[in-house]
Amino acid sequence: MTIQITGTMILQGVVSGLLAGGLYAMVALGMALIFGVMRVINVAHGTLLMLGGYTTFWLFALYGMNPFFSLVISFPLLFLVGAFLQRFFVSRVVGAPELSSLILTFGISIFLSNMAMIAWTGDYRSVEFLTGSFLLGPIAVSKPRLVTFCFALGITILAFLFLNKTKTGKAIRATSQHRELAQVCGINVRRIDLLTFGLASGLAGVGGGLVSIMFSIFPEMGGNYVFKSFLVIVLGGAGNYLGALLGGLILGVVEGLTSLLLTAQLSEVIAYILLVILLLVRPTGLLGGRR
Amino acid sequence: MAGNRILEVRGVSKHFGGVTAVNRCSLALEPGSIFSLIGPNGSGKTTLFNLITGVERCDEGGIYFKGERIDQLPPHKISWKGIGRTFQVIRVFPELTTLENLLVVSRQDWEPSCRRALELLRFVKLDQLQGEFAGNLSYGQQRLLEFARVLMIDPDLILLDEPAAGVNRTLLNDLLSAIRDLRAQGKTVLIVEHDMKVVMDLSEKIFVLDHGEMLAEGAPSIIRSDQRVMEAYFGR
Amino acid sequence: MNRFAWAIALPILAGLAVMPFYVSNYIITFTIQTFMWIALAESWNIISGLTGYVSFGHVAFFGTGAYTAAILISKAGWHWFAAALTGSLTAASLALIIGYPCLRLKGPYFAISMLGLNEVVRALVSYFEGLTGGGSGITLSPMSSISPLYYSMGGVALAGLFITYWIITSRFGLRLLSIREDEMAAEAMGINTAALKLYAFLISAALPGIAGGFYARYVTHIEPIGTFPLLTTITMIVMCLFGGRGTIFGPILGATLLSIFQELVWTRFLFLHEAIFGAIIVFVILLMPRGILGVLQQRYRLPRTI
Repeated sequence: MTIQITGTMILQGVVSGLLAGGLYAMVALGMALIFGVMRVINVAHGTLLMLGGYTTFWLFALYGMNPFFSLVISFPLLFLVGAFLQRFFVSRVVGAPELSSLILTFGISIFLSNMAMIAWTGDYRSVEFLTGSFLLGPIAVSKPRLVTFCFALGITILAFLFLNKTKTGKAIRATSQHRELAQVCGINVRRIDLLTFGLASGLAGVGGGLVSIMFSIFPEMGGNYVFKSFLVIVLGGAGNYLGALLGGLILGVVEGLTSLLLTAQLSEVIAYILLVILLLVRPTGLLGGRR
Repeated sequence: MAGNRILEVRGVSKHFGGVTAVNRCSLALEPGSIFSLIGPNGSGKTTLFNLITGVERCDEGGIYFKGERIDQLPPHKISWKGIGRTFQVIRVFPELTTLENLLVVSRQDWEPSCRRALELLRFVKLDQLQGEFAGNLSYGQQRLLEFARVLMIDPDLILLDEPAAGVNRTLLNDLLSAIRDLRAQGKTVLIVEHDMKVVMDLSEKIFVLDHGEMLAEGAPSIIRSDQRVMEAYFGR
Repeated sequence: MNRFAWAIALPILAGLAVMPFYVSNYIITFTIQTFMWIALAESWNIISGLTGYVSFGHVAFFGTGAYTAAILISKAGWHWFAAALTGSLTAASLALIIGYPCLRLKGPYFAISMLGLNEVVRALVSYFEGLTGGGSGITLSPMSSISPLYYSMGGVALAGLFITYWIITSRFGLRLLSIREDEMAAEAMGINTAALKLYAFLISAALPGIAGGFYARYVTHIEPIGTFPLLTTITMIVMCLFGGRGTIFGPILGATLLSIFQELVWTRFLFLHEAIFGAIIVFVILLMPRGILGVLQQRYRLPRTI
């Protein structure tokens, strides 16, 4: 089945994709931080995102709270959840082979997502707060996407300011660049681990809230976002946080274009093949990072 | 061309991001002698080992073993050419037994392998512990096991990365006499070491690396009195 | 295998061989499923237990075998036994295509790429509707007696045991373990880790391929969602870890115990069951990373080859 692909359609795909990409970038940043600081691949990152999504959803559904406002609640809430998980579970495998943390966080994500399934059923939920789109020339810009993009951008900028301008933020970056050296310089790396995991979980939680506005949420959604975040990290280069931003936007655009031209299923296949090729050809990412 | 050189490193460089670990380094080893590679921490010694054994790729230059170019080959193929190494941080196989640590690397059939493995274990005095998981051995015992393991593949060139680190005096003497035995057998040994006494006692020739560059090379007596070497280690 | 082991093994095997004549259909069905889990856990053990390369998408090979067999039976009129065996070939081919590039990736990157593999295979199966029946799947006619399947699935489990035994007591197995223990050192000692990983991966894919083929015949109806569920991968991982990864009998122990628990306790509540599996994974990784047999090996100085 062939359809006429016009320049407008392509531009549409790019714009929609960029807007989604901002969200992917923010979520991937969290996962990149955890990987950078602790060399842990946090498969539960997507599950934390899911929990954040449900937080926003229920605050909206039960109390009518403005979902963007609820982000102020979901960030600290998921920060605490993340810190808890780190303190009692993940901290025990930092330093163990990376696969231990992979399987551990996998187990945590299975547990949490199924508890969510029991509690809230598998129905798709979304926050119907912002709907519709407006026309920017020939392009239809979806309102929810635009606003969530702005929020994602804003929060990411805040995160970067935190990482670059504050003492703690710099300590986090130092630890992720050279853990032993950071310790020698007097940085309490265990506290940094805790803070980083909490921060990343908060970012994931906020991401989930934005997803509930932009798309929809369901308990099993986590895996998809973990995979996407990983793809973003690989695109941008492990340890290269700015690269993660760019990677997120690239992923968004690629996704936007492929869903235009192919079915959603095939675009998953494309994403996967992209990931494998990237890992093989340039494992340090498009922009170069650490191994 | 190859002359009497078993290993030739020619103008080799390696960069990691913005850092140059090894910078246009060259050295040549004659067969049947013991050489040492010294230099302050971070001077690129282990990186050089990694380049020779194929763990890292050279950004510039080439490495030749017995006249044949090896720097493009994967590590296991380089090993088969006749190069063996030990590691700065011990890398035995902890969940295999002491005996299995040797058997796993052997290239002969099962029977001769077992015999050779037991021989080597006797040589390093670990034969009583052959059934013990290697992870349960003491630090010094693991060092000896790693040494025995590299002997198991019968290499012509042996790279030892800090073999004396953390080893007590008695064990050290056994190790040193074992290394001298290797030379007597015609093998070539290149040691990275910080213990100057070991370096001066053992080596016929010393290479000094500083900030990734070859600073000096020569017999121990020459190096001992070289001003630049003093400065590299102790500053001006 | 020493006499002690045979003294235990022979009666068990004999008992299992004659069991279908004496017990109810329910028990036969349950045992077929247990045999399947044993085969799956054993296969995961061969790649992930031995080399340490965590395959998160292993059910893809199971599903590939299932669909191969189902397509051959329904569209080409093949006999189910031959169809299932062919399932192992397609599964191994898939493993070759995926493994050749992906096994070059270091541990965690390999795991993540395998995470996506399963989803991709499922998506492809749904897409090629003409061949696979898309979302509605393929239906086969029911069998008059499931005893042949009982012996077939049992045969796969037994084959898995023999293959595992042969690998673990051979130098090939030692080399695979050296990859898990320290791949860099193994390579430096001349072990061709790339080739060995691939062989292990192919073997570990062929087994679930056959099991999947028999499974298709057994359930008589397969469709994408039920044939490629993440739960299957999780279950085989938990079973292997619980019993003892990298050992010969660990996967059998773990699969049998958890299969019984699963049947007795948890199948009533699907999501609680999965949640509990998640909790078991966490428990095993933190407190018992080498599984039951691993603990016994350390505590009672049992040999490595059990």
